[in-house]
Amino acid sequence: MFYLKVLEITSLYTILVLGVYLMTGLTGLFSLGQGAFVSIGAYTAAIAYLRFGVPFPLALALAVVMGAVLGFLVGIPTLRLRRDYFLLVTFGLSEMVRAALLYLAQLTGGALGIAGMPKRVGLPLILGSIVAITFITYSLKRTRFGRDCIAIRDDELAASMMGINVYAHKIKVFMISSAITAYGGSLYAFNILFIEPNLFNWLESAKLIIITFVGGLNSIAGVIIASTIYYSFGEFFRFIDVWRDVLLAVVVVLVIIFRPGGFLQGLELLPSKLRAMRRGR
Amino acid sequence: MEILRIEGISKHFGGVVAVENFSMGQQDNQITGIIGPNGAGKTTVFNLITGATPVDQGRVLFMDREITRLPAHRRADLGIARTFQNIRLFRNLTVLDNMKVAHDMKVGYTIWEEMLRLPRVRKQEKAIDEKARHFLAYLALESFADQKPQNLPYGIQRRLELARTLMTDPRILLLDEPAAGLNPHEVRGLMDTIRKIQEENALSIVIVEHHMELIMNICSLIHVLDFGKKIAEGEPAAIKKNKQVLQAYLGEEV
Repeated sequence: MFYLKVLEITSLYTILVLGVYLMTGLTGLFSLGQGAFVSIGAYTAAIAYLRFGVPFPLALALAVVMGAVLGFLVGIPTLRLRRDYFLLVTFGLSEMVRAALLYLAQLTGGALGIAGMPKRVGLPLILGSIVAITFITYSLKRTRFGRDCIAIRDDELAASMMGINVYAHKIKVFMISSAITAYGGSLYAFNILFIEPNLFNWLESAKLIIITFVGGLNSIAGVIIASTIYYSFGEFFRFIDVWRDVLLAVVVVLVIIFRPGGFLQGLELLPSKLRAMRRGR
Repeated sequence: MEILRIEGISKHFGGVVAVENFSMGQQDNQITGIIGPNGAGKTTVFNLITGATPVDQGRVLFMDREITRLPAHRRADLGIARTFQNIRLFRNLTVLDNMKVAHDMKVGYTIWEEMLRLPRVRKQEKAIDEKARHFLAYLALESFADQKPQNLPYGIQRRLELARTLMTDPRILLLDEPAAGLNPHEVRGLMDTIRKIQEENALSIVIVEHHMELIMNICSLIHVLDFGKKIAEGEPAAIKKNKQVLQAYLGEEV
């Protein structure tokens, strides 16, 4: 039972990490506001289901749409700014959403949060979602969308000179990331069955970025592995308390010094690549 | 036909005048040079034509259409392509993907088809792959397709930048110091390459360059800039003898 729970939580967080992968890993945009999108997804699904009687699958879809719409609204004014300003604005966003959830108590239950969702999300749905999201992300990565992300990360000016609409592309990236993150939030609501305004603060958002770096900016496989190890490790080593974070910091420093491209570098664990490796290239 | 027309453009950076009241006309199928001492505003002229920096005053017309306020990516789509003085390749993409990025604005599939990797995406990607390999082979770069640009020799990187511009289906190429850092042998190769590209693709080319041999050999018209202003315009033979030009370069009459 304990192991199942750990696996569920780990997998939920892995969805969130996949959410920031396109944005932070491929495009080099740093958001400290992903917590806001987790909350938006979780609250949208929970409120739609409990207060308005929206069927469960539709509640999840609504969370995805809300995430994308909020991503669009936040992206329009901020993604023209320099990347460091984007980071600051998203940080502000996460605090704003938290305050709004506390303040709109009639709808959100305020500091008491929302409970009473039925357990509709189990491991099969979470793992299935990971597979689907990985497929979508990997498909985007290997064709035009992903190429343009990396081009923008490397050199925005050169990218625009090659005909890429940098601003529009960043908005699309942010919308997709926000939608995936909000979806993760909605699954969370129907798995953990209790949500409150502080469920995902900016430090948690920062951890998503750190995991993306450790796993490797150019490797989805690396990011999934890093996320799985980090979050399951966290559950098993609760007894060492704050030293968990110290240990994480040490690992991060070591990876950045010795494998600056992430521990898998740009490698994707595809069957064809693995066979090639076994043959010694 | 006049493909590019610049009417009195100016650009100031704070109190510094980078370009002042510069005009030029560029014919189809013509190779033109822009020369001038360091800091004369040559690269700024390119930045104003491509939309990398906004124009303060004046107009830019491309194929009889005003593009002065058009965003950079739209100008690229119309057929304005450029290289950079300090090479700007995408270092995390392979040589092949660097080429493909320059074609991406013309891609016909939607993001939804891309997410699901539908047959249409695969089919078009295959065509893009072929186009990219074609232009790599065109400039003898095909053996580097899977490498990262930073691992390649400087001269090869310059050539790759040139190949990348061809992927945008350009009407006009703006080459910013294409000979910088090349040895004399490579410069001669570059001259042949530029001529070949111009003739075989029916392009118009503008070159900013310090390398006089290259400019004098392949340009039919030369504009000379000094402190942001045009001080001379003419054929290579006339520019060579122009007193003002010699003064700007050497600081005194010779």
